[in-house]
Amino acid sequence: MNRKMKKNKIFIYIACSSLLLSTSCKKFLEHQPDDRTELNSPVKVAELLANAYPHGNYLAFAEAMSDNAGDKGTTGRDLPNASPWNYIDQIDATSQDTPPFYWNACYKAIAAANYALEAIDKGGNTAEYSASKGEALVARAYVHFMLVTFFAKAYDPATAASDPGIPYVTQPQKVVEGSYTRGTVASVYENIEKDLIEGLPLIKNQSYRVPKYHFTTQAAHAFATRFYLFKKDYQKVIDHANAIFPASTISDNLRAWNTTYNALGYYELQALYTNSTEPANLLLQEANSYWGRNYASYNYGLSSSILPIFAAANNPSKKAFAYSNKIFGGTDVVYNIPKFREHFVKETISANFGDAYNMVPLFTSEEVLFNRAEANAMLGNNNALTIADIDAYLSKRIVGYSATADKFTEAKATAFFPALSVKDALVSTILNFKRQEFMHEGLRWLDILRLKIPIEHNSLDGKTKISLGANDPKRLIQIPQDAVAAGLAANPR
Amino acid sequence: MYKIYIRILCTHRRYIPKLLLMMKLITVVLLASLMQVSAASFGQLVTLKEKNVTLEKVFKEIRRQSGYDVLLSTNKIKTSTTLNVDFNNSTIEEVMNKIVSGGDLNYTIEDRTVLITLKEKSVFDKVLSYFAAVKVTGKVRDKNGAALPGVSVREKGAANAVSTSNNGDFAISVKEGATLVFSFIGYKTIEVEVGSKTSINVVLEEDANELKDVNIISTGYQNLNKKLFTGAATALKGSDVKQDGITDVSRMLEGRVAGVSVQNVSGTFGAAPKIRVRGATSITGENKPLWVVDGVILEDVVNISNEQLSSGDVSTLIGSSVAGINADDIESFNILKDAAATAQYGARAMNGVVVITTKKGRIGKPLISYTGNFSTYLKPTYDSYNIMNSSDQMSVYSELARKGWLNHSSASRAADGGVFTKMYQLINTYDATSGAFGLANTPEARNTFLSRYATANTDWFDVLFKNSLMQEHGISVSSGTDKSQLYFSTSYLNDNGWAVGNNVERYTGNVNAVFNLSDKLSLNFITTGSIRNQKAPGTIGRVSNPVEGKYSRDFDINPFNYALNTSRTLTAFDQNGSRENFTRNFANFNILDELGNNSLDLSMLDFKLQGGLNYKFTKHFKYDFLASMRYVKSGNEHKVRENSNMANAYRAGYNPDDSYIQDNNRFLFRDPAHPELQPVVVLPYGGFYNTTDDFLKSYMVRNSFEYDNTFNEKHLINIYAVQEMRMADRQTRSMIGYGYQYDKGGVPFIDPNIIKQATLNNLNYYSMNHRYDRFAAFMARAAYSYDGKYSFNATGRYDGSNQLGSSATARWLPTWNISGAWNIDKEKFFDSESLTKILNRATIRATYGLTASLGSATNSALVLRNASALRPYTNETESVMNIEYIENKDLTWEKQYETNLGVDLGFFKDKLNITVDLYNRNGFDLISPLRTSGIGGQYLTTANYADMNTKGIEVTLSGPIIKTGEWNWRSNLNFGYNKNKVTKLSSPQSIFSLVTADGGPQEGFPYRGLYSVDFTGLNHNTGIPEFINEKGEKSIDVYMQSLETKYLKYEGPTDPKLTGGFYNSVSYKGFTFGSLFTFSAGNKIRLNPVFATSYSDLDALPNEFKDRWTLPGDELRTNIPSILDVEAAANIDGKYPYNTYNYSTVRVADGSFIRLKQLSLSYALPAKILKSIGANNASISAVANNFWLIYSDKKLKGQDPEFFASGGVALPIPKQYTLSLKVGF
Repeated sequence: MNRKMKKNKIFIYIACSSLLLSTSCKKFLEHQPDDRTELNSPVKVAELLANAYPHGNYLAFAEAMSDNAGDKGTTGRDLPNASPWNYIDQIDATSQDTPPFYWNACYKAIAAANYALEAIDKGGNTAEYSASKGEALVARAYVHFMLVTFFAKAYDPATAASDPGIPYVTQPQKVVEGSYTRGTVASVYENIEKDLIEGLPLIKNQSYRVPKYHFTTQAAHAFATRFYLFKKDYQKVIDHANAIFPASTISDNLRAWNTTYNALGYYELQALYTNSTEPANLLLQEANSYWGRNYASYNYGLSSSILPIFAAANNPSKKAFAYSNKIFGGTDVVYNIPKFREHFVKETISANFGDAYNMVPLFTSEEVLFNRAEANAMLGNNNALTIADIDAYLSKRIVGYSATADKFTEAKATAFFPALSVKDALVSTILNFKRQEFMHEGLRWLDILRLKIPIEHNSLDGKTKISLGANDPKRLIQIPQDAVAAGLAANPR
Repeated sequence: MYKIYIRILCTHRRYIPKLLLMMKLITVVLLASLMQVSAASFGQLVTLKEKNVTLEKVFKEIRRQSGYDVLLSTNKIKTSTTLNVDFNNSTIEEVMNKIVSGGDLNYTIEDRTVLITLKEKSVFDKVLSYFAAVKVTGKVRDKNGAALPGVSVREKGAANAVSTSNNGDFAISVKEGATLVFSFIGYKTIEVEVGSKTSINVVLEEDANELKDVNIISTGYQNLNKKLFTGAATALKGSDVKQDGITDVSRMLEGRVAGVSVQNVSGTFGAAPKIRVRGATSITGENKPLWVVDGVILEDVVNISNEQLSSGDVSTLIGSSVAGINADDIESFNILKDAAATAQYGARAMNGVVVITTKKGRIGKPLISYTGNFSTYLKPTYDSYNIMNSSDQMSVYSELARKGWLNHSSASRAADGGVFTKMYQLINTYDATSGAFGLANTPEARNTFLSRYATANTDWFDVLFKNSLMQEHGISVSSGTDKSQLYFSTSYLNDNGWAVGNNVERYTGNVNAVFNLSDKLSLNFITTGSIRNQKAPGTIGRVSNPVEGKYSRDFDINPFNYALNTSRTLTAFDQNGSRENFTRNFANFNILDELGNNSLDLSMLDFKLQGGLNYKFTKHFKYDFLASMRYVKSGNEHKVRENSNMANAYRAGYNPDDSYIQDNNRFLFRDPAHPELQPVVVLPYGGFYNTTDDFLKSYMVRNSFEYDNTFNEKHLINIYAVQEMRMADRQTRSMIGYGYQYDKGGVPFIDPNIIKQATLNNLNYYSMNHRYDRFAAFMARAAYSYDGKYSFNATGRYDGSNQLGSSATARWLPTWNISGAWNIDKEKFFDSESLTKILNRATIRATYGLTASLGSATNSALVLRNASALRPYTNETESVMNIEYIENKDLTWEKQYETNLGVDLGFFKDKLNITVDLYNRNGFDLISPLRTSGIGGQYLTTANYADMNTKGIEVTLSGPIIKTGEWNWRSNLNFGYNKNKVTKLSSPQSIFSLVTADGGPQEGFPYRGLYSVDFTGLNHNTGIPEFINEKGEKSIDVYMQSLETKYLKYEGPTDPKLTGGFYNSVSYKGFTFGSLFTFSAGNKIRLNPVFATSYSDLDALPNEFKDRWTLPGDELRTNIPSILDVEAAANIDGKYPYNTYNYSTVRVADGSFIRLKQLSLSYALPAKILKSIGANNASISAVANNFWLIYSDKKLKGQDPEFFASGGVALPIPKQYTLSLKVGF
C-alpha cells in the first residue's frame, strides 16, 4: 500500500509537471531563436537609425548621365557606367551602383526610419526618444527626396500636382509585398516638407556618437537648402544656410584646397576627402559601392574632352583652381581627382573577396555655399551676398589667392557669360564652379535636372550621339522592373 | 496435403475419443518406438531401484519388464520429472499408485496400456473451476532470448487477447484449462495449454517463410504491429546492414532502402553524406531526414545546409550527427517514408525519418561479444585520373613561356609559382661571397635546371597518401534476468589516416538498462557517450567568386586536391632528399611542411542520458514517460605554426625587403592613418591559433498514453496520445589567436596593428553566438484493424516552435494524416490453393496526409542584428543595428500533401517479396527567395512562396531464393525513382548560381537543376571559346552575375532520379558471401573546372590539353580552347571566357554509375572449434568496400561521380579492405 502510494505520488508529480509545462508553453515558445536584437530602448532605436540612410550609391549613374562623363574610347563597358551614359534602363538590382540598387537601398533606409518611429510610438513618444524621432523624420524626408529627384520629374510648380511621384512610405511593412502608389511630385514634396519641418527642431547633435554620419542640425539645414532650392523657395534656402553658417564663418568650413589639400599625396587626399574630421563634410554615409575603385577607369568619365573645364580660361575667375593640380592618372584612361578611398570589408581574414564601401559626402559646406549664393542671385535683391559667397569660395580654391586681384565681380561674371544678364551670369558662374567642385560627386546631375539643362553625349568615334532636351523622358530613371511588376506605374519611355 | 492434415486435427478436436485425444494432444510418450520385441515373456512385476530417475526411464522399464505401455494424457507431470523409486517385484498397480500419488492424477489400465489422466472432477469442482479465472503472466522471446514486443496472446476459442509489451511481457486472465495461442507475424504460431500454470514463458521461432524485418515497425514513439501500421516504411536489422569497416552508420543505408539515396560527397570521417528520403522537399531548407535514436530526435550540433555539405568546410566534420554511434550497438533501422509513417513527427516529418533502435540486454547468462575490424585504404593512383605527366606538362609550360607568360620579370615575382619562378629567383640570387648567381642566366643552365623537373613525374598521391591502417575494436556484454536486463558496450576506433595530415580516433560507450520493478512498473535507462579526436589539414572556409565565376579557398592544402591540381613537375624533395620549397603567397611552400605546420585538431564529446518509465494501469492501458538530455561539445583548433606558409605569407615582402611584394601582398596592412606609407607586417612573430567551439545542450520530455485492446479476436484497437517538449541550446564561439608562437613555449606576440587591421575590415577576431530551439507538440493517433483484413489509421498532431520568430500566430501548425490497408490474402476468395501457391500474401496500402518542416526563414517578426558600422576609421565606427529581415507576419511552415499507394506481395510462400510504393508529393508554402518592389525595405526576401511537386516510385524485390539447410541465398533488389519539379518560384537566379556543380532552382525544373552556358565553338582566329551570352548573342563574354538565364541550357538535375541497390548473400554451411551493388542515374555532373585565361607553372592540366586549339581551323576538330598569349589575354581583360568554358555545355558529364560497393566473405567457425576455444560463436570476414566503379560516364575520366572535389577537409571515399573478427562467449 505504501509502495502504491509512493507510485501514485510519482504520477501526480509527472502529471502536474507536464501540466505546468503546458501552461508555460507560451512563454517557452516565445524564446527568440537566436541572438537577434530587440528594438526596445532609446539607445537601440538610435542605433537602428544609423541605417535610416541609403547605403547605396547614386554617384555612378548620376555622373554617367551628366555632362561630366565623356567617352574615353576604351574597351571597358561596365554596365553601371555604360548604361546610364547611354540612358539605357538598368534592371539588375543586385549590382551595386545601379539605380535599382540605389532604389532598394533608399527604401531600406526608409524602413529603418519607419520601424524606429513605430518603436518610438510604442515607447510612449517620450523625451528620451525625441532626438531619434527628429533624425528619423529628417532622414525619411531626405531619402524620399533623393528618390523623387531621380525617379520622378523635377519639381515644377505648374505640373507637380499631376507628375507621378514615388511612394512615400510612412508605415513599416509587415507583409512580403505591400501595395503602394506613386502619388504626385507635389504630394511627395508636401510629405518631405512636413517631415523636415517636424523633425529638424527635434535633432540634438549631442545625441550622436559619430555626428558626421547622422543628420545633425547643420546637415538637416543643408538638406533643407537643397530641398528648397529644388522647390525654388529661395528665401528658405538662405534662411537654412544662414542657420548653419552665419555669413562670415562659412569659409572656415570649406575644403582647404589651396593650402592643406594642395600639399597632400594621392592616398592622403583620398583619405582626407571623405574623412569626418574634414569640416566641409556635413553628412557622410557609407555606401556599398564600387565607385571608388572604378570611377577613374570607367570608360565614361573624366575624359580628355571633359578635362578643359578645369582650365583657367574656362572659368569666370580666370584662375585655375587648386584641384586641377590634383588630377591624377597621367592619361585620360584613368584621369581622376582622388576623392574616394575604398573601405573593403572582407569575408574572412585572408579572403580577397568581400564588399567594397565608399564613404560618400551627402552634404558639404560647399554645396550650402553654392545653394545660398544661387538663392541670393535668384532673388536678385542683393548680389553682394552672392559675390561674398563666391569670394569665400575662391579664397579656398585659387592657389596664392589675392583678396584684391582675385575678388569676384559682376563684371567678371558678365565678361565670361556675355550673352547673359547679371543674374543669369552669376547663376552660371556658380554652376561652372560647382561642376568643377563636385566632379565625381554626382551633384552636377541634380543641377541638370533642376534647371533642365540640355545634355549631349557623343561617343569618341562619333557614331553615338545622344541629346537630351529639357523635357526628355529619359531624364527620369525608370522605376525598377520589380516595382513595376508589383503594380507601380512605369515612367514613359 | 499439409493443409488438409491440419484441418482434420482442428475440426475433430472436441469430439474424438479420449484415447485419440491424448495421442494427439500433448506429451505422447509412445514407447512403441522402442519396440524391439523382447524374447522374454512378459511378466507383470516390475523391479527398479534408482534415485532421480526420470519418468521416461521408469516407463521404459515398465514396458521392458511388463510389456505395458504407459501414456500420459496430461501435462501436469512430464516425462522429464524425476523421482526416487524403489520397486522390488511390484505390480503395475503398485507402481502406478506410487507415480500418481500426490497429484490430481488418475490412471486406467486397458489392454496392456496404462493411461495416466487427470482425476475426474466432482461437479462442485467443475463449477468452481468454471468461475475460476486463471491469471497467467509470462514473457515471449525469440530464440536468441530477445524480448518480442507486440506478440498477440489469445485465449483459444474466446474473445480474449492481449499483446506483449515492449519487454515481451504479457498478462492475461483465462479460464482454467484454456489454451493460449501466441501469434506474431514472421514467427510460427504456437499453442500452449495453460493447465495449472500461472507463468508461461514462450520462445517463438521465426517462420522461415516470412522475414522478421517487416513485422515490427518502430516509429520511435511506438513499436507497432504491422497489422496496425499502414504507412510506407522499411525495417532493417542492424546486423544485416552493418558494413564492416564503414564507420558512419548513415553511409550503411546506401543501396539498402528503395527511395533512400545516399551520396558520399565527402568521405572524411564525420562528414555527413547527402541523404535524401524520396528526394528533396525544400528549396532553401534542409532536406536531410530526421534521425531518431531510441525515441529521441537526434539534434544536429551545427546546421549544415544543402550546399555546405559539399563545401569541404570544417563544419562538415561535425555535420554527421550519427558519427558517434557505434554500429555494433544498433539493433534495427526503421526508415519511415510516407506521410502515414512519419505522421507522428508531424511538422518535422517532411524529409522522412530514420529510426534507430539500439540493443537492449537479453535475459540469460552474460553474453560477451568482441568485434575487431582491421582496414586498410588503397592509395589513389594517377592511372585513374587524367593528369598530364611532367614532360607533357613541361612542354605546355614551354608554350606558356613562349607566349609571354612565365617570363623572367613576372614569374620571378609571382605570388604563386613553380619551377619557372624558382629558376628566375635563383638567377636573381647573387651570392656575394662566392661571387656567383644561384643559377647562370644561360640557355644551357636553364635547360639543365628545367630538365630535372621535366623528368620528375612526381607522384603526389604517393607523397600525400599511404596505405593506412584503421582498427576498430568493440566489446559488448548483454545479460539479464526477468527483473533487470543490461546491455553494455564500448568501442575504440583508430584510423591513422589515409592522407597525410588526417587521422581520427573515437571511443564510444553505451549502457542500456531495463528494470522491471513490478508487473506494472518498469524503468529503462540509456547512457551513451562518445569521444572523438580528429586531425585534418588546416583549412578556412571557401568563398564563391561570382565575378570570375569560381569558388576559391585560400591556403588550401587538402591533400587530394593538391595531388590533383599540382603540377607533377614540382618535386616534394630536392636532389639531396630534403624537402623542396616552391612559392605560394610570396612565401616558401612545401606541401609536406605545410601539412605538418598547418593543421586542424577537432575534438568532440557527445554524451546522452535517457530515462524512461512505463506504467501499466491495466493490461490495456499504459503510460510512458521519456526524458533525455544530450550534451555535445565540439572543439576545433586550427593551428598555424610560425613556419607555415600561411603565417609566412603575412611577412612576405620584408626581410628581405621587396617593395613590389610589399605593394602586392594582400596580407600586409596599409594603415589608413598613414595612407602614403608602404604596407606593414602585422604578424611579425608566430602563427595563428584559431579556435571554434560548438556546444549543444538538448533536453526532451515526453508523456504518452497508449490503449491497446482486442475485442472478439477481430477488432484490434490502438489509441495513442502524446505530449512532448524539446529544447536545444546551441552555442558557437570562435577566436582568432594572433601571433601564437608554437616554438617559443606558446607565448602570443600580438602586434596591435593586426587587431586594427581586423577591426577596420569589420572582421571580429572573436565571436560567440547562440541558437535556441524550443518545440512543443501534442499528438494523437488511433489505429483500428478488423479481422486482420482492414486497417485504418488516423493521426493528428499540433506542433509549436519558436523558430519562426516571435509572432504567436505563425508558430503553431496542425498536421494530420489518414491511411488504410487491406490485407487481401485474408479474404475468403483468396483461399484457393491454386492462387496461394503462387501469391500467398497481398496487401494494399493508401495514405493521404499533410506533413511539414521548418523552413529557413525566421522573420515572422522583425529581425534585427547589431554590428559595427562599416566605416574605415576607428573614430567613425559605432554600434549600429541592422535590419536583417523585415517582418513577414504571414510566415509559416513549409508543408506538403502526400499521397502514397503501396502494394506488398508475397510469392511462392514468401520466397519472393515485392513491395511497390507510388507517391505524389505536393509541396507548398516552401520558403524561397523572392524579389519584391523593394519599397517595403527588403528587395530580396524569403517567403512561403514556392511550390514543388515530386512523383516517385519505389520497388523492392527481396526474398530467400534458396533456403535449405546448407545452402541459403538471400537477395534484395531495390530502387527508387523520383521526379521533382518546382512548380512555382520567383527566386532570382544568376547565371553563376545555376551553372556551378550544386545547380540551382528554376520554375518548371528540378529543385536543383544543372544548367550550362551554351558553348558554340572556338573562335576561328584565337581559339577562345564562344558562347550564347545573356543577351542571346554569340560572344566570348558572358556576364556570370546576370539574372537573365533564359539562354542557359538545362542539363538535368544534380540529384539522381534513380537510385538503388542490389544485395546478395549466399551462404553454404559456415561460409557467407555477400555483395552489394549500388547504382544511380539521371543526374548531371559538372566536370572539375580546369580551364583558365592563363596558367601558372603550378597548374596540373588534364591530358585533353594535348588536343587543344593551336591553329585556325583546329576549331573544326577540337573543343579544347587555346592557350592564350599575354597580349591576347590582355585583349579580353574583364571577360572570363575560360572560366565560362568550365561551366559550358561541353563540361558536363552524366552522373549515372554502377558501383560494386561491397564484397564480403565470412566464415563462421564450426561448433567443434568453438568448443575448444570456449566460444559460442566466432566468425571471420574479409570485406572490400567501395570496391569497383563498374560504370560511369567516360567524360568523368576518373572524377568520382559522387565526390565534390571541393578541397578543405573533403576526401573521396577510398577503396578499403577490411578484415573483421567476431567472437561471442
